[in-house]
Amino acid sequence: MFRFIASFFTKLIQMMLQVLSSKKHIIHNLLSIYVKTSGGQTVCLDIDPKCDVSHIKKLVAPQINLQPDELKIIFAGKELADDYVIEECDLGQQSILHVVKIKSPKLNEVFRCSTPKANLSPLTESLDYSTFSSEDENTEKPLERKAHFYVYCPNCKGLKQGKLRVRCHFCKSGAFTVHSDPQDWSHVLQPKQITGTCENDPEYCQELLQNCEPTFAEFYFKCSEHVSLGECDQAVPLDLIRPNLRHIPCLACLDVPETMFTFPCQKDHIACLDCFRSYCLSKLLERQFWQHPEHGYTLACPNGCLNSFIREIHHFRLLDDDNYDRYQRFATEEFVLRSGGLLCPQPGCGMGILAEPDCTRITCQQCKYVFCRNCLQGFHIGPCDPVEPSLDAQGNCDVDLNCPVVEDPSRTTIKVITKPCPSCKTPTERDGGCMHMICTRSGCQFHWCWVCQTEWTRECMADHWFA
Amino acid sequence: MAATRRLQKELGDIKNSGLRSFRDIQVDETNILTWQGLIVPDSPPYNKGAFKIEINFPAEYPFKPPKINFKTKIYHPNIDEKGQVCLPIISAENWKPATKTDQVIQALVALVNDPEPEHPLRADLAEEYLKDKKKFTKNAEEYTKKHSEKRPSD
Repeated sequence: MFRFIASFFTKLIQMMLQVLSSKKHIIHNLLSIYVKTSGGQTVCLDIDPKCDVSHIKKLVAPQINLQPDELKIIFAGKELADDYVIEECDLGQQSILHVVKIKSPKLNEVFRCSTPKANLSPLTESLDYSTFSSEDENTEKPLERKAHFYVYCPNCKGLKQGKLRVRCHFCKSGAFTVHSDPQDWSHVLQPKQITGTCENDPEYCQELLQNCEPTFAEFYFKCSEHVSLGECDQAVPLDLIRPNLRHIPCLACLDVPETMFTFPCQKDHIACLDCFRSYCLSKLLERQFWQHPEHGYTLACPNGCLNSFIREIHHFRLLDDDNYDRYQRFATEEFVLRSGGLLCPQPGCGMGILAEPDCTRITCQQCKYVFCRNCLQGFHIGPCDPVEPSLDAQGNCDVDLNCPVVEDPSRTTIKVITKPCPSCKTPTERDGGCMHMICTRSGCQFHWCWVCQTEWTRECMADHWFA
Repeated sequence: MAATRRLQKELGDIKNSGLRSFRDIQVDETNILTWQGLIVPDSPPYNKGAFKIEINFPAEYPFKPPKINFKTKIYHPNIDEKGQVCLPIISAENWKPATKTDQVIQALVALVNDPEPEHPLRADLAEEYLKDKKKFTKNAEEYTKKHSEKRPSD
C-alpha cells in the first residue's frame, strides 16, 4: 500500500516537472536567427535550439528556391555538419548564419574529404584555452564553461564575456571557412595569419587580390551578453583577461581568482581583477604610466619584468569612468609634452598647445591667456624672473607666483611645499625619506638632490643624505 | 582592499613560521597597516640585545613598498639617529609587489648583522667601522647594552 502511494506521488511529481519544463521550453528557448545568403537575401527564422543543421537547411531551401542538399551553412569560420545541433554552438539571439550554394557536387566531394567531420564545428567552440596555452596539457577541458574570451563591449560599457567570429579579410563577408584553426592569440590579433576560402563571392576576392596572395581570415569578437545588433556590432578583445585554469595566485593579494589578468611577461605574473584595478589606480594617481611609442599610455608588469608592456590599452577600461577619463587626460597631456608641446598653465584650462620651437610668446586658443613659453607665466619682455639663484646658472626659470595674474591659494601652497625638478620643473613635494629625489614624471625620472637642487651626487650622499 | 587581504595572509604565515630573528609581532586589530616587532640579531656586537621596529604599509600595498623605522636606538652605519633605515629591497625603484614581508625582514636582519659601510646613513660610524673595527665593535656593544631591549629568554 505504502509503495503504491509512494510511486503515485513520484509519478505525479514527474508529471508536474514535465509540464513545467515543457512550458519553460516553449517560452524561453526559441531562438530567432538570421540566415544570410551570398546574394544578400536575409531569411529570419525562429528555431528550436535542439534542432540540427539539416533542419535549418530544410527551412531555408524553399525560401531561396534551392534543394536542402545544395546548401552549406557557415558559422564562425566553419561549415556546420548536417547533424550538428544548434544548441551546441554559442549562437545568441539574432545571430547570423551564412548559407551558400555548393558550387558543384564534385568539388564538394573533394572538400568533404579534406575536412574531417569532427572539424565541422564552429571555431568558437574548438578554440579554447587548453589549445591556447601549450603548457597545460594536463588541464582538463571544463565542459560547462565555454566562454574563454573577455571583451570590452562599447555597447554594454564594461567587461563582458566575448565570442570569436570570423569573416573574410577582404570583402568582410561572414561566409568564410578557415583552412586551419588559430593556435594562439597572435593568429587572432594580428592580421593575415590564417588562410581560408571566401564562400561569398570567391571570384570577387580573388580578382581583388589578383591572385597575389591567398584569401585571409579576419577574426573579431562580439559581446555575448547583449542581443547582437548586426554585423557591425563588435567588441574589443581583452586578451590578457583569461580564466585561471592553472590556479595561479594573484601576485598582490595571493588569492586564487577564477578570472585573472595575465601580465605579458614570461613569468606567469597574474593579478585578480580587483588588484589589477588597484595597481592601475595607484600608478595613475602618480602619473606613472608610460608613454610607449607603439602601444600608447600603458603599464608593464608590476614586478618590472622586461618587455612586459600591456599592448591593448582598452584593458584600462577596467578603471571606473572617472578614472578612465583621468587616464585619457593624462595620456593626452603626456603625448603633448612628449611631442614638444606644452600645456596652458591657466588654472582650469590645461589646453595642449603645439607651438613653433622658437616661439616664446604663446597664446592659448582655448582661454586666450598669453604666456611665456620658458617660465609659463604671463608674457613678459626680457629674461624670466629667476626665483632660485641656484637655477640661474642652468638658465632655467622657476615658477614665479608673484605674477599679477595669479592669487590662487593652492598655487601659494604648492610654492611653499614644493621644489621644482631641476630637469623638467615639475613641482615636487618631499613627504619623508632621504634627500635623494627621483622625478616621478614617467618621461623624466631625473635623480636629484632636495638640498642642492641639482643632480644627485656622491657628495650629496656623504654630506646630507638624510638631513 | 588588496592590502588588508594580503597582510592578513602574510601576518599569519610569519607568525606560523616562527622566525627566531623577528619576534613579538604586534598588530593593532583596527589597523593592520602598522606592525611592531622585535629584531633579535645573532651577530656581535648586536647579539647583546634586541631592537624594536615598526613597519608601516601604505594603503596601496603591495603596489608600494612598506617603510621600516627603528624604535630602539642603535649604533649602526646604515641606521640613523631617527631610526630611519635605507634598505634597497624596499626602495621605490627596486620594489616588487611579489616581495613578501618575511623577505624584507630577513634582508633587514642581514643588514643589522652585517653593516654595509659603502652605503652609509651615518658617515661617521661608517668611517669608524672601516678604519678602526675594534673601536667600532666596542662602542656598538656598549651602546647596545645601554639602549637596547631585553632579548627573549627562549
